[in-house]
Amino acid sequence: MTDRFDAFGSPEGEGQAAEGALRANWLTADFFLHSYRISGRVDIRKRPLFDILNDRMTGFIELEDAYVSPLDRPGEIIATYTSSHLTKANVTLVLVPHRDDALSRKQSYGSYYGTYLQQIFLTVPSFEVVGYLRLSARVNLRRLLSVETEEFIPILDGRVRASIRPDVVFTGGGVLVNKHHIGAFCLAEEE
Amino acid sequence: MARILVIDDNADLLQMIRMFLEEKGGHKVVLSAEGEDGLAKAFADPPDLAVVDVMMPGITGYEVCRRLRQNPSTADIPILILTARGQPVDREAALKAGADEYLAKPVTMAELLKHVDGLLARKGAERTAPFQGTLAFLSLRGGVGVTTLAVNQAVLFAQQNAGRVCLVDLSPSSGHAALQLGLRPEPNWSKLLLGDARPDGATVRGALLAHPSGLHLLAAPFLPLVGRELPRQAVQGLLSALRQEFGVVVVDLPSVLGEGVMAALEMADFIALVTTADPSSIQSTVGTLQVLKPLVDRIALVLNQVAPGPSPPVEALQRVLKRPIVASIPFDPAQAQSLVQGQPLAVGSPSSPLVREVSWLMGAFRPRRAT
Repeated sequence: MTDRFDAFGSPEGEGQAAEGALRANWLTADFFLHSYRISGRVDIRKRPLFDILNDRMTGFIELEDAYVSPLDRPGEIIATYTSSHLTKANVTLVLVPHRDDALSRKQSYGSYYGTYLQQIFLTVPSFEVVGYLRLSARVNLRRLLSVETEEFIPILDGRVRASIRPDVVFTGGGVLVNKHHIGAFCLAEEE
Repeated sequence: MARILVIDDNADLLQMIRMFLEEKGGHKVVLSAEGEDGLAKAFADPPDLAVVDVMMPGITGYEVCRRLRQNPSTADIPILILTARGQPVDREAALKAGADEYLAKPVTMAELLKHVDGLLARKGAERTAPFQGTLAFLSLRGGVGVTTLAVNQAVLFAQQNAGRVCLVDLSPSSGHAALQLGLRPEPNWSKLLLGDARPDGATVRGALLAHPSGLHLLAAPFLPLVGRELPRQAVQGLLSALRQEFGVVVVDLPSVLGEGVMAALEMADFIALVTTADPSSIQSTVGTLQVLKPLVDRIALVLNQVAPGPSPPVEALQRVLKRPIVASIPFDPAQAQSLVQGQPLAVGSPSSPLVREVSWLMGAFRPRRAT
């Protein structure tokens, strides 16, 4: 038996169906609002977080076991709730542990062939984000930032710094950023 | 084999950890699915180590850590936080709450076992490492058993480090450490502390009494000091000289914060502030904590039950004192007899409840946790 278990407490077993099912059921993520960090579990049985966030049929996202921290004391848990709903429009960004957690199913299972990583820097209220966009063609910023497609854009290997606490940095395999909140979006020079 | 308490709300993860730690690590694992239940299990039968999740329904893992640290029976157990909240700020929060180590999920079972075994080994080594330094026992309320605790503690240290431990009875009004050890208080510190010349090492050695346990005693004079106070510089010089000679110096302090006592407190590596549960003692302790604020990091609160009968819950006293009580010494009826015999319980009844608690207390006087 392999003995790795993931953020949701389930193991990455070798053909262990129950463990695999567990892993696929819930994702623990950090949701950042203007002044709060909320850690909670999202039910991803039917679809990945990317698709849930970008589903225009609902303006809310449901969390199980939400742990609330104020942004000026992000390590301190001031409240816990077994069930809660966040307004997607007010979610600035979502930090997830692994790259694949930030991608849509077709992106995560799709071929890496022909894709490349473009380093970016962006600002949203209360945060600045550094990370990588996975692209398959030359970047078209207008199209990329258009909210007519998806509202949350996946940034890989993200590093999020809180403006009010520059000493506090959050990192994750992926960051889903709400395009409505983006102030500046900068591309790093290609080497 | 260690007894490990794992508190996590994920039932599958609990079973997996149990299987791994028992089969691969050879440990005995106790499981709990939520914080309050985990605390109850820990208080009922303190484990050798606790693995605690942060995100649980009810109280968080941080709160579990804090409460484990506040309870004397679990204050010292190693705690490993295992959580999906894996940011550097979360690590800081875990250590601040009292955790010894922090592991962010995902983590392999092998990594978890490695950290569990490493933490057990580190804490075990800390526990068995003999205490080195100066330890002062104090209460501004008389009759709370300061001398009894200091004497038994010193004897226990001496049993570990024969010839390397000195007990100093700084009472200016007829101290009783010599009486408890069955020794005649002659010579004593009167010439060392009240003379004009600063005593050298040989003079200090010449003033010590030897106890069969291997403990050395610098006794207080039989006659009370009248109209005089212990001079600060003389106490400083004496304790410095003793520290050069002995690995461990235990100081039994009088119930007054005079210049000499303050010098001893300032030189102490640890201060055992002794209280009983009666209101007058609690009031004195609250006041003492306030005036000794600059030294508060070195103070360990010790609750001593000097009379039979029920005592208020430790938690209630901690709320009043606003500090954890690191040891709760039970009433021991054998203490009265040991006084008459001049034989400390640590010598005559090493398995008595008082000695058991004092020997546990000995483990609390170690280099402080780095957070």
